[in-house]
Amino acid sequence: MCQNPHQKEMNPSHFEGSTEEKETATVVDHDFMSYTQGMKFFDPHMHMSSRTTDDYQALADAGVVALIEPAFWLGQPRTGLASFKDYFSSLVGWERFRSSQFGIKHYCTIGLNSREANNEALAEQVMEILPLFLQKEGVVGVGEIGFDDQTAAEEKYYRAQLEMAKEMNLPVQVHTPHRDKKKGTERSMAIALEHGLDPKMVIIDHNNEETVKSVLDQGFYAAFTIYPFTKMGNERMVEIVKEYGPTRIMVNSAADWGISDPLAIPKTAALMKIKGIDVETIRQVTYQNALDAFAQSGQINEGDFIHGLEIDQSQKFNGNTVLRGGQAPRINKNSMIIR
Amino acid sequence: MIYSSAILEEILRFANPTETVWITSKSKGIAKELALAFVMTPRFISKTPINNPTNIIDGWSWQDYTLEKLVRIYIVCLLSEKDGLDQLNLLFDTAEINEAVALHSAMPALKNPTQFLLRATDAVRSNMGSVFESIAFENPYPSLYFSELAWNQMVLKCIFNDKAIHRIYDLENRSNQALADTLSDFAHERWAAGRRVPSQVWRLVPKFMNENLLTDINKLAQSDNPRDVLAAQLVNKEIAQPGSTKGQWKELELPEPIYQA
Repeated sequence: MCQNPHQKEMNPSHFEGSTEEKETATVVDHDFMSYTQGMKFFDPHMHMSSRTTDDYQALADAGVVALIEPAFWLGQPRTGLASFKDYFSSLVGWERFRSSQFGIKHYCTIGLNSREANNEALAEQVMEILPLFLQKEGVVGVGEIGFDDQTAAEEKYYRAQLEMAKEMNLPVQVHTPHRDKKKGTERSMAIALEHGLDPKMVIIDHNNEETVKSVLDQGFYAAFTIYPFTKMGNERMVEIVKEYGPTRIMVNSAADWGISDPLAIPKTAALMKIKGIDVETIRQVTYQNALDAFAQSGQINEGDFIHGLEIDQSQKFNGNTVLRGGQAPRINKNSMIIR
Repeated sequence: MIYSSAILEEILRFANPTETVWITSKSKGIAKELALAFVMTPRFISKTPINNPTNIIDGWSWQDYTLEKLVRIYIVCLLSEKDGLDQLNLLFDTAEINEAVALHSAMPALKNPTQFLLRATDAVRSNMGSVFESIAFENPYPSLYFSELAWNQMVLKCIFNDKAIHRIYDLENRSNQALADTLSDFAHERWAAGRRVPSQVWRLVPKFMNENLLTDINKLAQSDNPRDVLAAQLVNKEIAQPGSTKGQWKELELPEPIYQA
């Protein structure tokens, strides 16, 4: 969710580390799909509202069959309840539809994000409409909520939303802060436990080497956002999986409005394969664990997407929408001629 | 007209005992509880298909409905009968896709249906395919309440998006000169781009022939595409003897690729 303004280099690949590793990275960047043939991916954290149809097409081609879009901050603060309401509606409406056009099953989590929790007058109104959205079909949790600056207001609404999640028996997707991450993560977990949440219903997101052990030891799910500059590189991700194994670990891409890569999961899977991690472990951290964690909402039916999304004829062939009258569903990106 | 009891009767043919208990208890709620029940319906009601459905309003077909959708429609009817307009508006404003489909499908059975006219024309503007279809297809609301302008917009959008216009209720009765003329313009645009319009759309023109349309029909008659040739024959037959082609357009009521082969 943020970029490093001091970073002057070209946008690097996800990969960090030794010269040898950089060489591997070049291979994967150019041909990662040859390593992921037959694999299916579930990305539990993608802000698709910030993304283009090119990205959806690339995701479908790379084997991403389902994703979760958490509600978040839009890069600048909203000034009224109506913009929150329309945003939440778009997550269960237009974006869900847009995704279905590319054969990808779209779920979402709904919540008041930490940054905007600091506008208490507005936050109170948002809290009023949350229960209505949380009950909707395909809403698989409360999220992403938690701490940013770690203010009193953030804590107040984090606690209130934990109570909501408990009452509705929904998983919680917890955003951990960029700054003072380690303490913020510990505090997020302690508060969740204090409210009596079962740690297996809580997914702690944006982990790194410093936070992962405690998260797993306390029984929470640990999610890792592969994100250049500010979060995790995927070389580091491979090492974490080697050290901790696959249990309760999941990878995601964030894919937001910052410099991020929607293909982070398939690329990381390719890298894991090159680095000798077995296919079953890869499957768990790039598909199964995310599915298990969020299916606790009772809102995910794997049969809906595992054999490809059944694309409703009313939505695809007989055209409309993203595919406006007369368009073929696929375009050849390398062709100079546009028909 | 109160439709909720007729809808409930149909629901009880398909609901199992547990579902029946849930529906009965929820139906007694105040507006706010009904609205929440509408949202939560899929958690308690199965997607059992409604086979051999009853028909309670002309043109309102439940042929492809599921039990869960019909229960949602029942709850929406109860809300409108209990004057829960604020809650209904909230449901429209926050609807996810399946909810939006149920809300628009319910429109012909709502109390004071014309107060939802703007919602209905907004559904025609929707780019979510299933939302558009929920107002346009197997639904008599547009035929009953749309102005000519709104009607034409719906039919044209349907053709523009290559959806099957025969699913629009009352299609031939509400055809009009403005629609026939715009259809001709639209076909010319498609032809200029090397594309085509589905052959069955020409069923909209026989009552409104003029020089332009005659030229179009002659062009179709000379087409290499047998479906266009058949469409031209049917138009000419209908002009010669109004009413004589009833049922004969069926053959053309199939999805058609719009690109020229």
